[in-house]
Amino acid sequence: MAINRRNFMQQSAVWAAAFAAGTVPGVFRSAMAARENELNILCWEGYNSAQVLDPFRTAQNATVKAESLTNDPTMINRLRAGETNVWDLINVNNPWARKVMYPEGLIKPLDKATFEPFFANMLPGFEWPYRWCMSDDGSELLGMIQRFGPYSYVVNTDKISRETAEDTGWDLFNDPANKGKYGILESDDWNVFNICVIAGFDPFREHTDDEVAKFSETAKKVFGGAKLVGDIATMNQALIAGEIDFHMTGGTYSASPARADGYLNIRGITPKKGPMAGGKGGIAWIEVTSTVNNPELSPLAPKFLEYVQDPEVAHTVAFAEGTFNPVTQMGNSKCFDLFTKDELDAIQWDSLNEEMAGCVEYDIVPDYDKLLDLMTAAKREVSGG
Amino acid sequence: MTARTEGATAGGGVGFLRVPAGFRAALPVILFLLVGFAAPLLAVIGFSFMPARTFGFTGQPTLENYITIFESTSYISLLWSLGLALATVLILILISYPVAYGLVRVFGRWSTLVTLLFVIPLFVSENVRLYGWLLFLIKNGVLLGTLKTVFGIEAESMLFTTGAILLGMVYVYLPYMLFPLTLGISMVPNDAREAASDLGASRWQVFKEVELPLSMPGLVIGCLLTFVLAVGAIAEYKVLGGQQVIPITHDIEIAFTYAQNWPLGAALSVLLMLIVGVLVMIALRRFDLDKFLGRR
Repeated sequence: MAINRRNFMQQSAVWAAAFAAGTVPGVFRSAMAARENELNILCWEGYNSAQVLDPFRTAQNATVKAESLTNDPTMINRLRAGETNVWDLINVNNPWARKVMYPEGLIKPLDKATFEPFFANMLPGFEWPYRWCMSDDGSELLGMIQRFGPYSYVVNTDKISRETAEDTGWDLFNDPANKGKYGILESDDWNVFNICVIAGFDPFREHTDDEVAKFSETAKKVFGGAKLVGDIATMNQALIAGEIDFHMTGGTYSASPARADGYLNIRGITPKKGPMAGGKGGIAWIEVTSTVNNPELSPLAPKFLEYVQDPEVAHTVAFAEGTFNPVTQMGNSKCFDLFTKDELDAIQWDSLNEEMAGCVEYDIVPDYDKLLDLMTAAKREVSGG
Repeated sequence: MTARTEGATAGGGVGFLRVPAGFRAALPVILFLLVGFAAPLLAVIGFSFMPARTFGFTGQPTLENYITIFESTSYISLLWSLGLALATVLILILISYPVAYGLVRVFGRWSTLVTLLFVIPLFVSENVRLYGWLLFLIKNGVLLGTLKTVFGIEAESMLFTTGAILLGMVYVYLPYMLFPLTLGISMVPNDAREAASDLGASRWQVFKEVELPLSMPGLVIGCLLTFVLAVGAIAEYKVLGGQQVIPITHDIEIAFTYAQNWPLGAALSVLLMLIVGVLVMIALRRFDLDKFLGRR
């Protein structure tokens, strides 16, 4: 692309990103030849681990760079800011591919003939044509699924039993007696969902003025009552140390590192009731990995998506560094059999089906910008106690 | 033709040589700063005038981001950032002055060891050190767990409070106050102190009238350095403060990430730079470093 006054900054951002990703030599090469031996992945943690990438690097004799981020909007922004020229694969949660990235031309469809057969080996509920992998009209395959999990809140069952936590539901955060006993994960997109649910309405639809006012009031109350806001490591540490009894947002994804370390009293909870479709109270995420609409897309991108479907690689992805999660490929006994009892305990396999059934799937909040601004203001206003 | 070209080249070379040697020597650094410092700064300033939630520079320039900030409660975060930065600087002066004085005048051959004790932590990432404090202070952690096990004392943790944030900032920024201050105190000539004593000044008078004014360059540099760093702090608020206090840097981070609102984040950054810049300029006008350092 020619650089002119109008696109100068956008191009600068792309070059800066290319430098950051260490792909500048690749960018130069791309002007002359296709990118057969390089692959750039923008993903949640896990896919960037050496356990997952090294065998692929060796098999393909390729340079594979992966950058991990911990929220979807930031990753989408990177593509919007012009980095479609840099990345080959993007791994984000379920609604973004179908509802945002494909309509905005940020990703390109996969070859259905190649990838449809993989769905036959996935867990029940993820059969072809799986909704979040397909375009709105159902004609295009927009990505492949792998990691997933329920994600509502986590309790220390030594302090609050699983039954009480499930039955009380999100009212745990409405109870003034719990002030100072809970934490909030620093995951503001999910916190917007949760504040809606605690306020008593479905997050994934447009909201009335009354609901918006209630949201603001609830945000102040919930953040004002929190002992701390922090990352996953801090939440687990605080739960184990007894600083807090429960925290939102959380589930298998956040509790699994503590559970894998032997703290089985740290448990992700899916509430039995809630204000969302079908009276459900839980929210689940499913990662979808898509090929970026890169004009020089690496041919390794679809190959990598095939590679991670392998039972052993899928197991590695489930237990890659960071957090541990179930994978849809566990529908294949060759994959499932690789999981030890401790690993199944860590990912709460015992209640996974039941919890997923009690969840709606992560979706776009139509008035997210407004609600996030209100929540940010609420956090600021209760700042300092 | 060849001769003319050579002549022109030689003339150009001579022209370049007429440029002061200092400027020529500084040229690589100037170019590096222009690309590495000025360009990103200009990009941030430019972004702050773009329409909210856009990702390019093609939009119609607008002041809406600044209006949004002035209509919001961002001032709360700003006041927290400035207030805690100021408190950090004041605490650091109180802690660092005696230590710096000791390093220069009292510790003698132990000074190197003490200096090393303050320098070595700088080789460890700030986040790692802050998580170390978290594990030390957390309930049932190193401090409270030991108190409970050994002495049977059950105390409340001080984590996730404003005090914990201050502790983190004082700990992290201590070397940035201590070392300029050490330099400042070492610049005070012994002759001046001895002359003051000989003329009948008390210890307090020697400190107030001789040592403090003459060590002021180090103190001012330390204050400016720690204040600017502390205003930009965020990890201490997150790790030790549990976000019980929201600084302006947190608002900026949220704007650039979850809110997908780069122009708002850029406008907040520009305002923060302006405010800090103005405060630093006021300080520099009040305390003329060149004068202190004897350059005029």
